[in-house]
Amino acid sequence: MSTLVNILKGKTRYLVVLFSLFLVLMILISLSMGYIHIPMLDIISILYGKISGNLHILENTNETYLTVIFDVRLPRILTCAIVGAALAVSGGLFQGILLNPLADPYTLGVSAGAAFGACIAILLNLSAAFVSVPAFAFTGACTTLFLVMFLSYSSKNPSLSLSSNNLILSGIIVAAILSAGISFLKFIANEQVSVIIFWLMGSFASKTWTDFFAVLIFLMIGLFISMFFARDLNLISLGAKSATSLGVDLKKVTIILLVTGSMLAAICVSVSGIIGFVGLLVPHTVRFITGPDNRKLLPISMLAGAFLLLFADTITRAVLPHEIPIGVLTALTGGPVFCWIFKKNRFK
Amino acid sequence: MKLNLHDIFFAYDRDYIIQNINCSFASGNFYSILGPNGSGKTTLLDLISGFLNPGNGHIDIDETPVLSLSKKEISKKISLVSQDYAINFPFRVKDVVMMGRHPYIPRFSQPCGSDVEKVDKMMQTCGIYHLSDRKINELSGGERQRCVFARALCQDTPVLLLDEAFSNMDINHTLQMLGLVKRSVKEKNTLVISVFHDLNLASSWSDELLMLKKGKIKAFGNSQDVLTQQTIKEVFNVVSIVEFNEHAQAKQVYYPSI
Repeated sequence: MSTLVNILKGKTRYLVVLFSLFLVLMILISLSMGYIHIPMLDIISILYGKISGNLHILENTNETYLTVIFDVRLPRILTCAIVGAALAVSGGLFQGILLNPLADPYTLGVSAGAAFGACIAILLNLSAAFVSVPAFAFTGACTTLFLVMFLSYSSKNPSLSLSSNNLILSGIIVAAILSAGISFLKFIANEQVSVIIFWLMGSFASKTWTDFFAVLIFLMIGLFISMFFARDLNLISLGAKSATSLGVDLKKVTIILLVTGSMLAAICVSVSGIIGFVGLLVPHTVRFITGPDNRKLLPISMLAGAFLLLFADTITRAVLPHEIPIGVLTALTGGPVFCWIFKKNRFK
Repeated sequence: MKLNLHDIFFAYDRDYIIQNINCSFASGNFYSILGPNGSGKTTLLDLISGFLNPGNGHIDIDETPVLSLSKKEISKKISLVSQDYAINFPFRVKDVVMMGRHPYIPRFSQPCGSDVEKVDKMMQTCGIYHLSDRKINELSGGERQRCVFARALCQDTPVLLLDEAFSNMDINHTLQMLGLVKRSVKEKNTLVISVFHDLNLASSWSDELLMLKKGKIKAFGNSQDVLTQQTIKEVFNVVSIVEFNEHAQAKQVYYPSI
């Protein structure tokens, strides 16, 4: 971890501290809000008691509060934050590799693949086993990724394969086929169609600690790999030839980072359904603050992504009278915000 | 340092872009590659820099095949100023020049004092120091080319490849950069191979010329010997007059009006 801290210098360190504070604050606020309001002081003392192992504090607090915090809210809140973080890192990686500030974690059709897998699981009624929907979604996402990479790779002409245009085109083609497949599955699904639609729109309702730790492991590994190759990713933006002449093994770095970014997106989609806009908006906006250097962009995006998605989820869970699917909320609110940022900065 | 090309063939698809190239380049010399559009000049540089793999033959740098080296090892020996100097994200000029130090900076660490010093000095030499905090995509073509030039020089390699590196520079900066390169060839005993379109600049600055046509070497040798009316007619299909010019201290080419 010290090596990770070491590469952040000056202003970036302050930004990391600042965004971490925002995130912690947001987690505390979110914990207190909901059907049962829990006072902030109780939350802090309960968390302190749990972390320090001081059982005396825990015994004196309301039993309901403990259940609500540790079994209901905290898993959901932390899963939401970690998914936001992973989507933002994944988006940053894709924008870097595809040399396109408008790429997002789903550009290569990972979401369509996951959705297709999930639809099959739901349709075959495997959802009784519950684990199988995320598992099918994850398998679908991985299969799609390798299909897209296979389409855009040529061993005969290595300098042209895996180029950003090839990847984006293959991604669009595969995603188009899969969405037609999804439509077909919906068409033959009859009464299960509503389950499919709800899954596709994404939700953090009834997420467990298992979900959180699954994404956490992926994010830790993914972040380490991304930071390991962050400088190479900077060089890739100089163009293939210049990057190669500066010592970047383009094919190796591209494949490793594509797999990393897609795995992050795949685990997120499997856990929470398709949540758009976070992976596009967060890295794009953070770039205005940190500049294009991926060593700063990726860690700050991670924190900002966690904050933003948790903010959105808290609104749909605790503020709105009815819970709106999170994927819909992020697109409905994130879209206009993005329009504003885009217009304001693009023509500065 | 010596670069040897043995029986090099290369094809993207079916037609050979580069055919049967055998030649060697020695350090302490400035070489220019000349030839009409599509004659394989850039491809030849890409093969030398290890960006493309030859379909046949091998390129050795001091007896070691280039392809047996890792990309990082190559980048400490060969630097390249390529034509794709468009940069997709708004990096600042000093960050772009610092990228030239990439092969020397270990992972997870910041550039050390000497790296920063070298980058500052190179930006001053290339006349872009006043632009160091500007974003690269806001600069003009010529300014951007000088940034890429500075970046390649920061790479500190014994071999420097220039692919029409002066195409967007004004004459003042072109001469300045050529002087810089020429000095490093003579003082630091480096090896420069440059693709040119301007025959006169090539003739007055380089030690040897290589004429390329349809992927084959048409002439290779001392500038004075290679540059003749006959070779120019043969390679470029252009009528010309070639004379020794005292001011340039080299042969110069004139094109008579028709």
